[in-house]
Amino acid sequence: MESLLNLWHASGIYNITPGQIVMILVGMLLLFLAIRKNFEPLLLVPIGFGGIMANIPEAGLAFSAVENALNLGGPEVIASIADALGVSSADPAALKDAYVNSSAKAHTAAIYAANDAGYSNGMMYNFYSVAIASGVAPLLIFMGVGAMTDFGPLLANPKTLFLGAAAQFGIFATVLGAVGLSTLGLMDFTVQDAAAIGIIGGADGPTAIYVASLLAPDLLGAIAVAAYSYMALVPLIQPPIMRALTSEAERKIAMVQLRHVSKSEKVMFPIVLLILVAMLLPDAAPLLGMFCFGNLMRECGVVDRLSDTAQNALINIVTIFLGLSVGSKLSAEAFLDVETLGILLLGIVAFGIGTAAGVLMAKLMNNLQGGNSINPLIGSAGVSAVPMAARVSNKLGLESNSQNFLLMHAMGPNVAGVIGSAVAAGVMIKFVG
Amino acid sequence: MDNLMSEGLNLMVFGMGFVFVFLTLLVIATGFMSKFANKFAPEPAPQAAKPAPRAAAPAASAGNDEVVAVISAAVHHHRNK
Repeated sequence: MESLLNLWHASGIYNITPGQIVMILVGMLLLFLAIRKNFEPLLLVPIGFGGIMANIPEAGLAFSAVENALNLGGPEVIASIADALGVSSADPAALKDAYVNSSAKAHTAAIYAANDAGYSNGMMYNFYSVAIASGVAPLLIFMGVGAMTDFGPLLANPKTLFLGAAAQFGIFATVLGAVGLSTLGLMDFTVQDAAAIGIIGGADGPTAIYVASLLAPDLLGAIAVAAYSYMALVPLIQPPIMRALTSEAERKIAMVQLRHVSKSEKVMFPIVLLILVAMLLPDAAPLLGMFCFGNLMRECGVVDRLSDTAQNALINIVTIFLGLSVGSKLSAEAFLDVETLGILLLGIVAFGIGTAAGVLMAKLMNNLQGGNSINPLIGSAGVSAVPMAARVSNKLGLESNSQNFLLMHAMGPNVAGVIGSAVAAGVMIKFVG
Repeated sequence: MDNLMSEGLNLMVFGMGFVFVFLTLLVIATGFMSKFANKFAPEPAPQAAKPAPRAAAPAASAGNDEVVAVISAAVHHHRNK
């Protein structure tokens, strides 16, 4: 009877909290969206599954050794950790705060105390430390994206870089929105949080995760989920905004064929970009450096094997770990919060403003150049979701004029948007990091 | 609280300004780069380079010069028969 009772007390059903039930349902919702609705399945399947695993009661997969000891350990374990931290409290929540804010020495002592009591880091906590806390996974993904990116359309028409710049307005407008919500007392975001939330508007998953891991690790789960969900929703969010801001005549504008871009230009471009980053904004160097490296491997033509690995095998491996690590941040206490709602709301606003700013910039450039050379529909591709945003531009162009193929023209602002959002990320890290 | 708001405004003005300055410089740098590339390394270059290695390959094996000369003489002789 005694052992039967023990088994019952160790079971998931006995220990599960309402928050964990809700988060497991959220994880299943993400899986449903990915599998049935085809929303960014490559990311949302690992994230959703990771979210479910992170909320398995008693397993503590998403927690560090000390957190596990505080959650699961008896009074004597908690006392030994309190002793290691030099705190007299016996309340696990207070001890967690003390642990987070402790000096490196007390921090290490607490970890040893937890290890002595037989507790270790959860598997997903380890994934998170290796993949995201260290910054490795988003950067490797950025390298893969660089290896997949063809800068040809951008080099043929460098002015489209302005469209990529304009679309970043969504990022900064959202920062203001998040700060405004805090000022009004509706939410509680610091400037760092606001900056990390704004990056969702760049529509660039790895950049958003990279910035969030540096500026607001607590919000990372919500930010990553918002960023990837909205990237999947690009074909739904953008067209109404694009239609509202352009006239039928503007949508009909056919653009001239892009000039041929030589191989030497493509080889030199990543190096020029890297030098510019090194000179002006070293804080963006990790992101843009890896991006340029990936692109150089692609274009130089002598390391095809490396380029092939970066854009296929490696990016797939990293995506698995990145997704599971993001899932580990979907714990009930961090996610079930009014701030998550704020993040989801601000994210979609960021997206909309970015799209609008890109289209308006394209209209302005078109008017400055005589009104018949730039189709404003390509402006919306300045948000970086590659190549989805460019496809949306192409689709709307074809609706108005069945002979008007805008895809290659929209790829220019699209890859410019990747550069733009990485630069914006560098600025954020520099100013508020 | 107002402090937070002004911090946000600052970030927006500086950030957006910086993004534009950076990408403007990139437009200029790209323009220069394209001019430079097309002037000093024009596209047909790789095609022109192709025959060169072929001509260079026999020259590399300088020790075989005699053999080549003998064989070509033999072929020549054979053809003229």
